[in-house]
Amino acid sequence: MEITEKKAGNCIVVGIDGRLDTTNYSVLEKKLMELIDSGDIKMLINLSKMDYVSSSGLRILLMALKRITMAKGKFALCSLQDNIKEIFEISGFTNIFEIYPNEEAGIKAL
Amino acid sequence: MAFYVHFTDPHSEEMVDYLRSIPPSPGTCFFIDINRSTDLKYTGGLPDWGRKLNNTFNFISLLNDFPENIVKGIGDEIMLFIPDEALKKKQTINTYYQLLEEIYSTVHNISGFPIPDMFLPCKVSIHYCTEVYNITFFKGANDYYGKDIDLTARLMTKSIENRIVLSETFYEKVRTDLQNIDKKTDYGCLSKVSGKFLATFRGVPKNTEYRVLEAG
Repeated sequence: MEITEKKAGNCIVVGIDGRLDTTNYSVLEKKLMELIDSGDIKMLINLSKMDYVSSSGLRILLMALKRITMAKGKFALCSLQDNIKEIFEISGFTNIFEIYPNEEAGIKAL
Repeated sequence: MAFYVHFTDPHSEEMVDYLRSIPPSPGTCFFIDINRSTDLKYTGGLPDWGRKLNNTFNFISLLNDFPENIVKGIGDEIMLFIPDEALKKKQTINTYYQLLEEIYSTVHNISGFPIPDMFLPCKVSIHYCTEVYNITFFKGANDYYGKDIDLTARLMTKSIENRIVLSETFYEKVRTDLQNIDKKTDYGCLSKVSGKFLATFRGVPKNTEYRVLEAG
C-alpha cells in the first residue's frame, strides 16, 4: 500500500493505493492520526487506487471519522471502485461516511 | 470434503479400520455468537431480528473472506473452521495473527458502529485445534469433530458481549507469527490481550489456559 497526501485549498487529500489490511493498517493509522493531530481536520480520502480493504482497514477509517467529528472537522471519501463500494455497503459504511464520486466533488463539498 | 462415516453394523470392523485411516485436520476453530437476538425475538418480529442477523452475519463472513469456512450455524451462533492448509492458501488473511486482528476489528467495528440497530454485538471464542477430524455422519454435510472443537465451544462460556476468548494454544500461534515478522506482543491488537486465566471445563481432564481480548 502507498499513501499520498496533498493540500487542496483548506483540505487535505489522502490517497490510498493498493490493499489495506492487517499487514499495513498501522501505517495508515499513524499517518491519519499525525495529520489530525497537526490540525488537518478537513480530510478527503481518495480510494480510486484502493483494490481491497479488510475489517482492520475499515476500523482505521472509522477511527479517523470519529476523531475528526469530535474535533468538529469534516471527513469524506471519494472515487470508490465497485468492489470497495460493495464492502462499504455490506458493512453499513455507506450510511456513515460522506462519499463522493470523484475528488473534485469531494473537495468542493468539504 | 469431509470423510463420510456411515456403517449400519454397530460392530463393524470395517468402520474401525476406516476411522483409523482418517487423518487429523489441524486448524483454527472459531465460535461466534450473536448477542441480544433472543430478546429481539420477543420484542420484535422477523423483519426486525432477521434484518439484524442478516447484517451481522454478512459483516462477519463476507468482509473477512470466511464464507467457505463456515461449517454450520446453530441458531444465532456460527462455527468456523479454517484448516491450516486453507489458511496458507488465502490471499490476504493467511496467518493466525491476521485472523485475530481481523476478527478483533470486526467485533470492534460492530460494537462501535455509529448508527444503532444495524448490527448486533458478538462474542467469540478461538482455539487452535490439533485433535480434529473433517468427518460427518450425515450424507453431503461438512463438519469437524474432535476434542479441540468441544474445547472451543467450552471457551465460549468465558466470553461476554464484545469479548474474544482465545486459548493459550492459539495465542502462542499468534505470538509466533509476530516473532516471524520481528514484532513483539505489544503490537496491534495483541497489546490488548489479557494475562493468562485458568478454567476447569466439564469433561476436560486438565485445566485450560486462556486469555481475553475486549473489543468493545
